[in-house]
Amino acid sequence: MAQSANDRRRINGPEESFPPVFDDDDEDIKLKTQRSRAPGDIRPIFLQPGLISQANGSAYIETEKTKIACAVYGPRQSKTTTYSEKGRLNVEVKFTPFSCTRRRAPMRDAEDRSIGVSIHQAIVSSIRLELFPKSTIDVFITIIENDGIEGCIASGSLAASTALADAGIEMLGLVASCSAAIVGDDIQLDPSEAEARASSGTLILACMPALDSITSIWQSGQMSADLSLKCMEQCHERCIDIHSIVAQSLL
Amino acid sequence: MSSSSVTNPSAADETLRAQIFQRLHPRVYLERFIAENIRPDGRTFDEWRSVSVNAGSISTADGSALVRMGDTTIVCGVKAEIAEPELDRPEQGFLVPNIDLPAICSPKFKPGPPTEEAQVLSDRLNEALIASGALPLSSLCIHPGKAVWTLYVDCTCINYDGNAFDAALLAMLGALRNTTLPKATYNEETGRTTCSRQTRSPLQITRNFTSTSFGVLDTSHVLSDPTAFEEPLMDVTLTVIVDDRGDLISTTESGGAILEETLLRCINRAKERALQLKG
Repeated sequence: MAQSANDRRRINGPEESFPPVFDDDDEDIKLKTQRSRAPGDIRPIFLQPGLISQANGSAYIETEKTKIACAVYGPRQSKTTTYSEKGRLNVEVKFTPFSCTRRRAPMRDAEDRSIGVSIHQAIVSSIRLELFPKSTIDVFITIIENDGIEGCIASGSLAASTALADAGIEMLGLVASCSAAIVGDDIQLDPSEAEARASSGTLILACMPALDSITSIWQSGQMSADLSLKCMEQCHERCIDIHSIVAQSLL
Repeated sequence: MSSSSVTNPSAADETLRAQIFQRLHPRVYLERFIAENIRPDGRTFDEWRSVSVNAGSISTADGSALVRMGDTTIVCGVKAEIAEPELDRPEQGFLVPNIDLPAICSPKFKPGPPTEEAQVLSDRLNEALIASGALPLSSLCIHPGKAVWTLYVDCTCINYDGNAFDAALLAMLGALRNTTLPKATYNEETGRTTCSRQTRSPLQITRNFTSTSFGVLDTSHVLSDPTAFEEPLMDVTLTVIVDDRGDLISTTESGGAILEETLLRCINRAKERALQLKG
């Protein structure tokens, strides 16, 4: 992987370096995609609010191999001078260089921004932004360990919602999010990276169980309309369970 | 007839007034505590915050460590990649340390490229690791002149409550000690290197060292392990790096002049601290 152009600001290594190639790579892939859980089971969630003392609100979420820290700063003054009646929500996602199997350059790229947009979409309708004119709420998410983008977006939305609640920002409800992957005709909830890669399509659903409303659906890949509707229903049911976990951790 | 409810302010009011005073006049607030020989968080001048190190929790990294020094939380991960060595140093691998202070860790950092503080910290950490020779770069050689290991040691601060340098150095050393490299074989004919997943061997760390930071206020008060509130108010900051045999690796001082006896006292305290942490 070639070094980035941000050379001047960091300590640099050699111009080009390559991740190690393993001699038994092909056999390994077949083992990894065998799922050890039932298709409807999600991985256990560990959610801890209030870990970052410097921030107004924070949360740390861990589900097996996905570790995400989230901090909320705000409401604070907007940098722009244009007047806005409603507050702004700014979601920024950052991957640590060691979070993925291949080292990521520390620069932010398109993938970070697209995850930021998904999480923004999931939580923006739950916050009462009309109470904070001219202000910005900053949500910073750092992905410490990554096990699939779907898992990141789902866990990231949970962490963001918990951090906002920890910061005492007025919300309409907590947001719960669940991801799913389609393998053949089966729906597997909470896929890991290997499972998602082996699937034909994935779906991420975010909703507010307290108000029984859905805030965001992100679907990619191939799936028939019936299957995707069934998938959404299953995710929705699971979100209600996840919601109680989030509420319990905030007590 | 009691008027006590009017004359005694409630505890919540007092806390609020103390917080406002802290925001408006930080230096005077700190000096009031110093006059009583105590610090705002309750420690004495010599006390260090409790340190906890958790190694090996990140599976995607070849080695990792999470260090908590009081509230300062730093997570460090090591990723190993293969590169061609420099022409004039064909048997030496690369060690690339970096620290990132993202916007998540403190309200004073804004999102964007590394700030001056992060760049200075990265550079100091690089000097400390390379100059001390803790990891001989020749141990990272796979095939002289063709393939060597490059270790990217990346630290990310999750919560910044002062003294990031000490915590980052501890995290980097912890991550390096936790790192295992797969066995690599270089194929002369194809020029490719393949690794084996089965055998992994740890790095050869020859030296173990700890860093201790102090802040000096008014040339006479030496506070060890300053927090994020105390750090900007210090006149002089002093960092001493000592290895586990008691030898001095480096001393850095910035901000102003200090007395020689203060410097010697700090070096001695750093040596005591290194012994304390070793146990």
